[in-house]
Amino acid sequence: MDNKILELKNISKKYQTKERTFTALNNINLSINKGEYLAIVGKSGSGKSTLLNMVTGIDHPTKGKVIVNNTEVGEMNESDLAQWRGKNIGIVFQFFQLIPTLSISENILLAMEFVNKIPKNERENKIKELLKQVGIYTHKDKMPSALSGGEQQRAAISRALANNPDIIIADEPTGNLDSKTAEAIHLLFKSLTKMGKTVIVITHETNTELKYDRIITLSDGKII
Amino acid sequence: MKYIKALRDLTINPKRTLLVIFALFIGVWGIGTVGVSYYILTNDLNTNFQKTNPAHLVLYSKDFEKLPLSEFNNIPAVENAELRDFVVERIEVLPDIWIPLHLYGVEDFDNTKVAKVLAEKGNLKPKLGTISIERDGLKISNIEIGSNPRLRIGNKVINVPVSSISFDPAQAPATQDHLIYAYTDKKTFSNLTGKKINQRLIIRLNNVNSHDDVKKISQQLISRLDKKDINVTNVDIPLFNEHPHQWQLNTILFIVGVIGLLAFILGSVLVAQLMRAILAKQVRQIGIMKATGSSRFQVFQIYIIMLLILGFISGAFAVPLSVLAGSAYAKFVAGILNFDILSSIPFYIYAILFTSSLLLPLLLSLSALLKGTNISVKDALNDYGINNNIKIKPLAILKKFNLSNISLLSIRNTLRNSNRLTVTIITMALGVAIFSTGFNVRQSLWELLNNLENELQYDVQVVLNNQISKTDAIKPFQLLRNVESIHLWNSGNSHSKELSTKKGASIISLPYNTQLIKPKFIKGDWLSQTKEIDVVLNQQAWALYGYHEIGTSFDIYIKDSLIKVKLVGIIEQLAKASLYIDEKKYNSLYNKNNLVNTITFVAKKNDYNSVIALKKSIEENILPSKLSVAYVMSDAEKVKVIFDHLNIILSVIIFLSFLVLSVSAIGMATATGINISERTREIGVMRSIGATPKKIYTLFIYEGMIISITSILIGLILSYPLSQLASIFFGNLMLGEKAVLAYAFSPLGFAITIVTTISFGWLASRIPALNAVKLSTRDALSYE
Repeated sequence: MDNKILELKNISKKYQTKERTFTALNNINLSINKGEYLAIVGKSGSGKSTLLNMVTGIDHPTKGKVIVNNTEVGEMNESDLAQWRGKNIGIVFQFFQLIPTLSISENILLAMEFVNKIPKNERENKIKELLKQVGIYTHKDKMPSALSGGEQQRAAISRALANNPDIIIADEPTGNLDSKTAEAIHLLFKSLTKMGKTVIVITHETNTELKYDRIITLSDGKII
Repeated sequence: MKYIKALRDLTINPKRTLLVIFALFIGVWGIGTVGVSYYILTNDLNTNFQKTNPAHLVLYSKDFEKLPLSEFNNIPAVENAELRDFVVERIEVLPDIWIPLHLYGVEDFDNTKVAKVLAEKGNLKPKLGTISIERDGLKISNIEIGSNPRLRIGNKVINVPVSSISFDPAQAPATQDHLIYAYTDKKTFSNLTGKKINQRLIIRLNNVNSHDDVKKISQQLISRLDKKDINVTNVDIPLFNEHPHQWQLNTILFIVGVIGLLAFILGSVLVAQLMRAILAKQVRQIGIMKATGSSRFQVFQIYIIMLLILGFISGAFAVPLSVLAGSAYAKFVAGILNFDILSSIPFYIYAILFTSSLLLPLLLSLSALLKGTNISVKDALNDYGINNNIKIKPLAILKKFNLSNISLLSIRNTLRNSNRLTVTIITMALGVAIFSTGFNVRQSLWELLNNLENELQYDVQVVLNNQISKTDAIKPFQLLRNVESIHLWNSGNSHSKELSTKKGASIISLPYNTQLIKPKFIKGDWLSQTKEIDVVLNQQAWALYGYHEIGTSFDIYIKDSLIKVKLVGIIEQLAKASLYIDEKKYNSLYNKNNLVNTITFVAKKNDYNSVIALKKSIEENILPSKLSVAYVMSDAEKVKVIFDHLNIILSVIIFLSFLVLSVSAIGMATATGINISERTREIGVMRSIGATPKKIYTLFIYEGMIISITSILIGLILSYPLSQLASIFFGNLMLGEKAVLAYAFSPLGFAITIVTTISFGWLASRIPALNAVKLSTRDALSYE
């Protein structure tokens, strides 16, 4: 049985400036399986963020194909892409990026409203479930500014899970957290993979061996 | 290096730089235009007027020729005196259209020293047997040099050639008063009118500073002349050193001043907001510069340079354009009020405007600069991504409305920067309030005009130069068609006991139970059948006679005899001072032969065209008759004359109110633009969690609509007291002191205000919202 959830085929991404052409990704081929906990590591400028953008459809490759859950990402327009992303991919950012004018539960609800995947009458229960899962249910009515960094990141993970996506992509999710909180977040991600989610973490951390199922290292736009 | 950094910062985001330049441009251009037009208009109407050396005093007597003119000029109080005769006749300006002709007989055109007339086209002195027409009259007639218009002098019709065009900036504009001013020499004046000349003395006095000074000297002069056997029959004291239509200019300048100030405040708010936003964006850079050794003052200098560059560019465009716009506006007003633009804009005005454009952004951004450059290195470097430090209350009440999260987000986002929101709503609400007030004042004036139209239940009125018998008055009109009834009234003059001059209110004697006048009462009632001599005054006469209370009796002079009258009513009118009295009482005292001088027609069909046709028929019947007619005027035309006086003010109010609303909308668009640019990363995040561009767009449109609707509500509430204040102000200005222009609500204005504000609000949100959704998710997420 084919267990692949994400496939990058001959992906290249070039940026054209006035002075030169910069190759951010150079002929990347990568397959990721369902339930995998994967790290993409590399130094600054290695192409990690560009790769994240390719996978999430935030940016399009100059060459090659991105196939997620049997859907070719490059063939959708901006509106379809936003909806597709909301349904299939949950993104967690380094600086949490919660909407500051909405409470924690409202942040999760907003993601559900945008996508309309979860039926309205199930949303409240789903939010409760998600917040309990990440351990911040008691903070559900608080505004983001009232929470610590670790709590905000847990809230951001809940939001990423709001529409029950198959893939979670986290961009430096622990980069702004202390080591204890970072460890807790990794455990949380690990628990998600046990529920069948695929978690891809973009990081520049070097001490990654023990945490992930697989580590992909990028350097100068190539997998090494 | 500081210059390079400042320049690069400006070029890195050209759209934002252009927006700041535009905001500065609006502020400087607005205040510059107002300042320049204010400078020109305040100087020039008065300069034009004073250039004519206007008369302080006009005396009437049949005895002036008993003394040589030099005798009058030798009186110490007299600066100059001249005999200038004057008569009101009629002139045909277009085929069968006759309007009053104010004809002056001038002694010596080349050496006038009082009430000078200037040459406009051709020789100032018209050829013998011809007349010179004042230039403003050309706009309401087909008369030109070489024309031979028909004049109705007394009961004769004669053709008189026009040999020159003159300019008399001291006169009320002919276009607004619907009459023609003409000048001729004494011989022609006498030949044309058949009247005795040298019966009117115009005097310019020495060392007078007020109307009261003139009044005092006029009394001394009259008694002095009386001793020399010169019996002064009437005295006229014009407004002291003031053009007859100075009130219009004052109103225009007031409106322009207030609205200009508002435009300036709104423009300033705009600039301040933009500068705050720019500085907020540069916080990390400030941190970096400080971390690499820059002092606060050095950072401060960079932004000062940036602001000076912005000020310089906007000033370079705004200053010359504001001078052009201000001059053009002044020229437009001068054209309407019939005066020449004499002022050129001095260098210091350019210098003030340009300095303002340089200093304005500095002053407006000073607090933001001080705050921005005071940030600690640690705080500056930690400023990244979405601003999670926003302290906003969840507003539990919103939950009760079961709003969608997008609506909730719109409301909360609207409230996230309370200072900016307050400023945006205040500026927009002010725009709405002024715009709506403009319409309400316009409605008040319209209702005043309608009241006037309804007040007069007759359609055409013929006023004669002399009193005649009722039979003679009615004879020429017996076979007229479309006449329901003809009414004959009498009129004369009254003056107050206290007045040193004999200028007072016109008396209109008519049956107490007439149905032809249905006035709007300020106080009291109409005339009734009583034993006392009851009078009704319009508010101008009420002011003239000293604001007596209803029911009180006071003395007035009628035909030089003192009589006690009782005030029973005060009516609202936009007319010269008038006193209404029952004709039986008036006739028994002053008009024993029951003579009349006013013929009033009620038409069977009184639509505009039928009334104008009736007026033409009346004119045709007057031509062969022996009637000496002062004027023939239809009710509709009367209203039009008044409307023409108000029209310029109405237009200015609406135009400038629209300008304020537009500037407010630009302010709102800028504030929305800043809000959006500050939340660019947030847009990226929303896009990455599934928000389509349409949903993002809807979110910002909701926010714009929340601001617009709140502004409309506040603005409309604010417009109520503002409209009332404006009604009092305009009432006092146009109808006289203590007169209040009734507050009126304009449903059309209300609808236009709502539609315009919502459209502006929609546009102000749409433009930045469209820009926001144009940005790709990647660009939005990487935005700093």
